[in-house]
Amino acid sequence: MLEHLGEKLILHVTLGNFSFSFDILTVIMSWVVIAVLVVVALILRRGLGQDIEEKPSRTQAILESLIDLLKGQLMSSFSSDKLARELFPFVSTVFMFVLVSNWLSVIPYCESPTKDLNVTLSLALLVFVMSQLLAVRMRGGIRYLKGFLEPYPFMLPLNIVSEIAKPISHSFRLFGNTFGGAILVTVVSAKFAPVLVPAALNAFYGLFVGAIQAFVFAILTVAYINVAVES
Amino acid sequence: MEEAQNIVGQISGADIATAAKYLAAGFVMAIGSIGSAIGEGIVAAHALDGMARQPEMEGALLRTMVLGQAITESTGIYSLVVAIVLLFVV
Amino acid sequence: MHLEWGKVVTSLNWTFVFNLVNFAILLYVLKRLLFKPAIEYLDRRREQVATQMETARKNEEQAKKLVAERTGALQTAYKQSRHIVEAARAQAEEIIGQGKDGAKKEVEHILENARAQIDQEQAEAKHELRRSYAEIAVLGASRVLGREVNLDDHRRLLDDLLSELEEDTLRMKL
Repeated sequence: MLEHLGEKLILHVTLGNFSFSFDILTVIMSWVVIAVLVVVALILRRGLGQDIEEKPSRTQAILESLIDLLKGQLMSSFSSDKLARELFPFVSTVFMFVLVSNWLSVIPYCESPTKDLNVTLSLALLVFVMSQLLAVRMRGGIRYLKGFLEPYPFMLPLNIVSEIAKPISHSFRLFGNTFGGAILVTVVSAKFAPVLVPAALNAFYGLFVGAIQAFVFAILTVAYINVAVES
Repeated sequence: MEEAQNIVGQISGADIATAAKYLAAGFVMAIGSIGSAIGEGIVAAHALDGMARQPEMEGALLRTMVLGQAITESTGIYSLVVAIVLLFVV
Repeated sequence: MHLEWGKVVTSLNWTFVFNLVNFAILLYVLKRLLFKPAIEYLDRRREQVATQMETARKNEEQAKKLVAERTGALQTAYKQSRHIVEAARAQAEEIIGQGKDGAKKEVEHILENARAQIDQEQAEAKHELRRSYAEIAVLGASRVLGREVNLDDHRRLLDDLLSELEEDTLRMKL
């Protein structure tokens, strides 16, 4: 069990003279996450009544409280309402994807896709590119480039480094937490206590830390976009 | 004496590197997590102070606290990543 | 195509691209499936609630106005009724006063009449008394004198006596 600790299963595929490799387990698990989210979305969608006058059903109440929670906790950090409305689906999808990914490690034979740096880095870079594009769109190209010379021109390298450090710390935080939790659970269950303790540890790292980190990831997404657009 | 010299003679450069790797990983986590732990504690304490003073601000304070802790945690995460790289990559 | 254990835990490979594609698909599906209809629904309901609130506010305003009108009318009616009652009371008092005056006058009239009658009767009685006194006096005198006293001869004397007597007796009697 421990001989493959910290390693991952990689599939090498060669199509003609084009070859590529990917982490097969991670990709399958992210498909599972997507399937779970789509099923949940379908269930919630079915509960959404068409008639406004109708009394809300149970699933609709769940959907509404979910949307209220996302809006109140995540979107309220946006300084502009328009941007918040526009980015609500994106941030919510990021949050739910990371949350379900983290929670997936609780199920046996499943592992979190966020255990893989590729997944977290792709999300973080997506957020980074998005924030820069939004900053250019909201402030204009020249003012955006001028922003790197603030407050003094010699701070330019520092500003660039701090911008680049954002996606790195963003992705490594999620990756480190999930991966560290998984390693800890594996080591404890293989070396110290094979029963009961790993379950509790797994619940703690998978459910509690997973939820916190998903929230942190989403709120940092909001904060990075907001800072890039504002300053 | 002879035996000890024998053992020392058997230690190769790779063994020393492995030992240094594990040692470094342990030190990285031990020292690197101090700062972020203290920082997060300070953030939580002050947030709690604020919550006790103004319970109606709890939601905003909690959100800001989590954000601040996440940013404070960055250094700890960096050390974790360095430790992971030391353990599994180097 | 073969599987192997990758040594490098932080290695980047095509998973990165796959995950981006996966996430884009998920974002699109969730947006179409969940967020768009849900947000549209919530917006529609918020609008409806706002319009309903507006209607309710208007209705309430109207109701308040109506209540104010009613209260004003009621107060006017109350004032009017009080006015009417006061007027009626004044009239009644006037009537009663008039009645009292009339009765008083009548009483006075009756009293006067009675007084006049009494006076007249008194005068008559005095006169009668005086005459009977005179006769008694004459009778007594004739007895004392032993002869007939001519009433006419001693009229003057008698009259003086009578008047003295009369005054005394009347004073005593009354």
